[in-house]
Parts: sequence; C-alpha cells; structure tokens
Amino acid sequence: MQSESRVDPKIIEEILKFSKNVIEAPNLVAAPDEISLEVTPHDVVQEMDKTRLLHYKPLTDKQHKTPLLISYALINRYHILDIHPEKSWVKNLLQQGFDVYMLDWGTPTSMDKYLDFDDYVNGYLDSYVEYIKNESSVEKISLQGYCTGGTIATVYITLHPESVKNYVATAPVIDGWRDTTVISNLAKHMDVDKMVETIGNMPPEFMYYCFSVLKPFEQGIEKYIKFFKNIDNKKYVDSFLRVEKWLGDTPPIPGALFRQWIKDIYQDNLLIQNKMYVGGRHIDLKKIDMPIFTQVAVGDHLVSPECSMPLHYAVGSEDKTLRMYPTGHVGMIASSLSQKKVLPELGQWLAERS
Amino acid sequence: MQQESPKDVTDYYKHLSLFWTDIIHLMLSKPQALTSIGPMRAFATNSKKITTELIDINEVLLEFNQYITEYYKQLSDTWSVAQKKVNLKAPDVPQDVEQIEAFKRIWIDIFDNDFTELFDSGKFGENYGKLVSKEIELTKHWNNITNVILKSANLPSKEEIDEIYKEMHSLKKRVGKLELELKKRKMKKNAK
Repeated sequence: MQSESRVDPKIIEEILKFSKNVIEAPNLVAAPDEISLEVTPHDVVQEMDKTRLLHYKPLTDKQHKTPLLISYALINRYHILDIHPEKSWVKNLLQQGFDVYMLDWGTPTSMDKYLDFDDYVNGYLDSYVEYIKNESSVEKISLQGYCTGGTIATVYITLHPESVKNYVATAPVIDGWRDTTVISNLAKHMDVDKMVETIGNMPPEFMYYCFSVLKPFEQGIEKYIKFFKNIDNKKYVDSFLRVEKWLGDTPPIPGALFRQWIKDIYQDNLLIQNKMYVGGRHIDLKKIDMPIFTQVAVGDHLVSPECSMPLHYAVGSEDKTLRMYPTGHVGMIASSLSQKKVLPELGQWLAERS
Repeated sequence: MQQESPKDVTDYYKHLSLFWTDIIHLMLSKPQALTSIGPMRAFATNSKKITTELIDINEVLLEFNQYITEYYKQLSDTWSVAQKKVNLKAPDVPQDVEQIEAFKRIWIDIFDNDFTELFDSGKFGENYGKLVSKEIELTKHWNNITNVILKSANLPSKEEIDEIYKEMHSLKKRVGKLELELKKRKMKKNAK
C-alpha cells in the first residue's frame, strides 16, 4: 500500500504571500536612508567640538521650573529617545510640562582618540549643565542618564552634586562584575590597551559584533521574517525601520574613554567600590545625596538589572526610588509600555521634585 | 634523532631570511646610495623593516589561525548540539502552517539559548579576546609597514600624527578649563 503525502495548500499560500511581500516591499516602504529620525522640534543651542546641546520646543503653556538634561549613551545615537511620535520619550516629557535638553555626543574621529572620562564629565557635561543653569536662571537642574550615559552622569554628580537637583538613572552601567550580559563577558576578556594603542577609537564594527551575538536567531532571522510578513502594516513597518536605522548608526568611542571604561567598570569594577578616579579626582557614590530614581528592565540583555541596581543601594540619598519594568533595554524607553507606565511614573516623581 | 619543533623551524627561517636581507642590503648599499635619490632612497633604506614586519606577520598569523579555528569549532559544536535538541523536541516533519510556526519557534528558542550560553561562557570570552588581540597585532604590523611607505614619501607617520592629536587634546583641555572657570567667575560676579 502506498502512503499518500500531501502538502498543506496553506503552506504554498503562505510562501507565495511572503514572496509577494518581499518583491513589493521596495514599492511600499521607504529606504532607511530616506527616513528622518528627527521627530520633535528642537534648537541646537550649544556646540562643543563634535558634541551638541539640543533644546526641545515646549508643548505646554506652563512648564516645571527645573529643566531636565538627558545624558544619552555613547553607543548609537540619541534618536532612540525620540524615535517615533507615538513612542517618543522626549515628546512625552514635554507633554508633561518638562523643559527638556538632550546631549548629543556626536561622532568622534581619529583626532578625538585622547578624549577621556574627564573631558566628557568635567568638560562637555559640566559646560552644558552650566549653560542650562544660566539660561533657565536656576541653581540646579534635573539630570537623566541612560545606559552608558548613566555612568557619565553618575560620575558627574559625584563631582558636582551642587548642580543637580534630581537624578534619573535609566539602566546605568555601574557594577561590571555583576553584569550577566554577553557584552560584559567580551569586555572582561578584552586586551583594551592593545586595541586603543593600535586602532585608536573603539570602532563601530566592534559594537555591531556585540549586537550580533545578542539573541542572534531571534534578532538576525525572525525579526526580518516578521518585517516582510507585516509589510502592509504601515505603523509596524515605520516603527521597525526607524529602530533598524538607529541600530545601524553607532559612532566610534574615543580610545582613552573606552580604555578607562572597560578597565574601571568591567575589568576592575572600580566605580561601585568607590575606587575610581576621573581627572585626578576621587569618585565616591555616597556624594550622590539628591533624590534619585533608578529604572531597570528585567529583560535587559545589554545592561542587566544586576549591573544597574547596585547604584540604588550605594548612593547617599535618603529620597530614592527603584523601579523594575517587565521589558528590555530599548523597550523601557521606546515602546508602548514606556508611554503607558514608565514615563507617567517618572513624570509624577519628577514633577513632585521640580 | 630529535624532532624539531615548529617554533625552531620558524626561528630558523626567520634567521635565514634576515641574514640574506641584511647581506643583500649591505652589498647593495653602496651602488644604491650612488644611484638612488629622493623618496626611493628612504624606501630602500627602510625596506628591511618591511621584511621584518612580514616575517612577524607570519608568526602572528599562525596564532591567529589557531584562535579562529577554535572560534569556528565552538560555533559549529554549539550548532550541532542545538540541532540535536531540536530533533529530539520536534522529531516529525511539520505538515501544516501551524506546525511550521511551532517548529520555527522551537528552533529559534533552542538555538538562541544555546548560543547565548556559549557567548556567555568563559571559554568563548577567553578565545574571542585572544582572537581579537591577534587581529589587532596583524593591524599593528600593517600600520608599521604603512609607516615605512609614508616615511619614504616624506609624509608624517601615524605616530607623528598621534603626537599632534595628543598636543591638540592637551591644549583644548587647558583652554576649556580656563574658559569654564572664567564663565563661572563671571556668573558669580553678576549674581553679586
């Protein structure tokens, strides 16, 4: 007796539909290069070397008195905090009546290889904080640090606590030894001296490698299958392409900064042990004594919660709040969850102290 | 009879190559000095450096190959183990759309878990660190060769450009700090 094997017609239908979507994709959606990631209107109010200070235009008649400066990460660009009108971190804060500034670290070139922690903390960040204080006629501002920008902000506050009224630490990189991510494993085994002496700046290709080993099959295959399957869904496609464009734009990191970063944070873990020095000055986390709001994501595979949370326990502040969200590193700042839960909670906390 | 180790063989060929390069260089130095002028003169003088770099590159390449072989072995071993797990969990060929979706989910979950476990492991981190280190050494040798060529063309080498960058950075830092200090003093004065 011969067994009859039949292919489900639905499978053929699915394959044909998928092929049609792939062929029609260029006619339906814009190329990533054609998409502008500048969403919320702003002015560039200050520039220093390759860095810029952006000031967003207000969206409310009345604003809270204390301005907020966001110190974005050194990996990728600040656009993720303003990636889509419906998922914009910045726009949401503006709608809640905050006066928002953003620090764009720019794209360093070979000649910036000697820029170090001191330049970023006591140079760029300090200078921009002074500018905002002067412009807003306030003695203190609110500071938010995201990811590696959170480490820079943390170090800044320990050295200049008199300038900061409130600190929002969003997935900051603090305790390198507790970090359970793939990135920390690679960082711990890196010969960073040799890399910086030979290449100069940390090349973006190294970061792209790090991204590629994070859930390689979900992110490298499934994500794109979903994209082509949903090619008719304008909202999904627009959001997907914006995030993809953002992911593909990582600037190099200045060599001297990168060297200290890898050694002091991931290899020797000096920051959390209060043993780090920046510009010859001792970094003591106990000097952070203003209200602090720490946000971590349970599913964060770039900066694990175990790496960020020790900040909450190490600071000298009495008014401190720790929030954990059931999402990932990007989901915490650019998703519907961030709009519905993360930002309202942050806004309420900040408004009470601004 | 004692067998020679690969290291001895490499050293022997290194010595042999340097010996002949030196002898030929010495033998040719006089006619070369008489006949060559301008950039080619410098290039001829420095050509020995290029030979030395090329010999060293070969040594680094040997180690680089060792680590890259281990790197791909780790990836392929993980792939095999993950595929076996998938076969155990989903032994039947999917027959309809729902089954294909379920199979895909199982495949992706198992592969992501196994590869993440590998990338998190000490053995992967250690080997990857050494692999990148050797890659950087290769880059360093290439930089050195390029410097010889730049020098022969009377152009500044990477080290000389770096010196300028370092000087500029130091100057900018000093000026920046002075500017900030002045600004702060001015603000304090205005406040009074």
